Amino acid sequence: MAKKSYDYLFKLLLIGDSGVGKTCILFRFSDDAFNTTFISTIGIDFKIKTIELQGKKIKLQIWDTAGQERFHTITTSYYRGAMGIMLVYDITQEKTFDNISKWLRNIEEHANEDVEKMILGNKCDMDDRRVVSKERGEQIAKEHGIRFLETSAKTNVNIEQAFYNLAEDILKKQLSKDNEETSQNIHVNNTQEKKGGCC
Amino acid sequence: MDDLIEDGKNNKWVMCKFCESKILRPSTASYEERELFLPFMQKKKDLAGTEHKGETLKRHWLVADMFAFENVGFSMTVDSIKYLACADCERGPIGWHDINDKTKFYIAVERVEHRQITQ
Repeated sequence: MAKKSYDYLFKLLLIGDSGVGKTCILFRFSDDAFNTTFISTIGIDFKIKTIELQGKKIKLQIWDTAGQERFHTITTSYYRGAMGIMLVYDITQEKTFDNISKWLRNIEEHANEDVEKMILGNKCDMDDRRVVSKERGEQIAKEHGIRFLETSAKTNVNIEQAFYNLAEDILKKQLSKDNEETSQNIHVNNTQEKKGGCC
Repeated sequence: MDDLIEDGKNNKWVMCKFCESKILRPSTASYEERELFLPFMQKKKDLAGTEHKGETLKRHWLVADMFAFENVGFSMTVDSIKYLACADCERGPIGWHDINDKTKFYIAVERVEHRQITQ
């Protein structure tokens, strides 16, 4: 049997009103001309990406809401096991920003209590059509104690950064959890070494 | 083909042909022959203008755990099949997975690049 080739697996969700560009955040070439093939027709369900943080190999499993948000209910099953949520609005659409509070309540209701969240103001490449100032985004994030970034999926601004930041926050939490467990287990089994794989 | 296999496994990195996104590390997948139908990555027409939808491919890399992949995208399910695509440029299908068998994830050898990289 092959040994586990990674240290951590984080399940991440993208949430927000439809049309805010969630799909473009996850699927970076969705606007490109060549993307008229079979895959773009049926759509992508989720992606697996591997990143390295603090010497740990981390697998990210990233899910889009796949249109469920149109019904204004994201079901509990979708949130199950989610460790990180990217909450996305469109800086050119006031309503999508107003709905951030609604999504935060939805998350509170359905997601794990300790899920890491992040707010993204997307489409910052369209500054001429901006209706939500950066300050307002920062403000709501601050009120809820969440990280905030303005992103452009189109020009690839802060997208990688957003995933790394969110993964970092989850890792921080995991590491402190692991430490607690290790110190609790120390009397039970002090020979067991908690160590990630090397490759 | 022999130059790609060592002890029944891929001896090189498996990468996207188009954007060089890394799909599988060396020696993480086993070689398996099985006839699987994959839709074409681009639409293809013959001289008579008839559209061909896909082809049956026989040579694959097989992994038992989806997290064995470095980077990969899973399509929505079509008749219990999820097609695999490049996680970065989304070109595909490069692979095949039947949701009724959670231990088999295939990458078609012909639809990917194999490369030795030092890292």
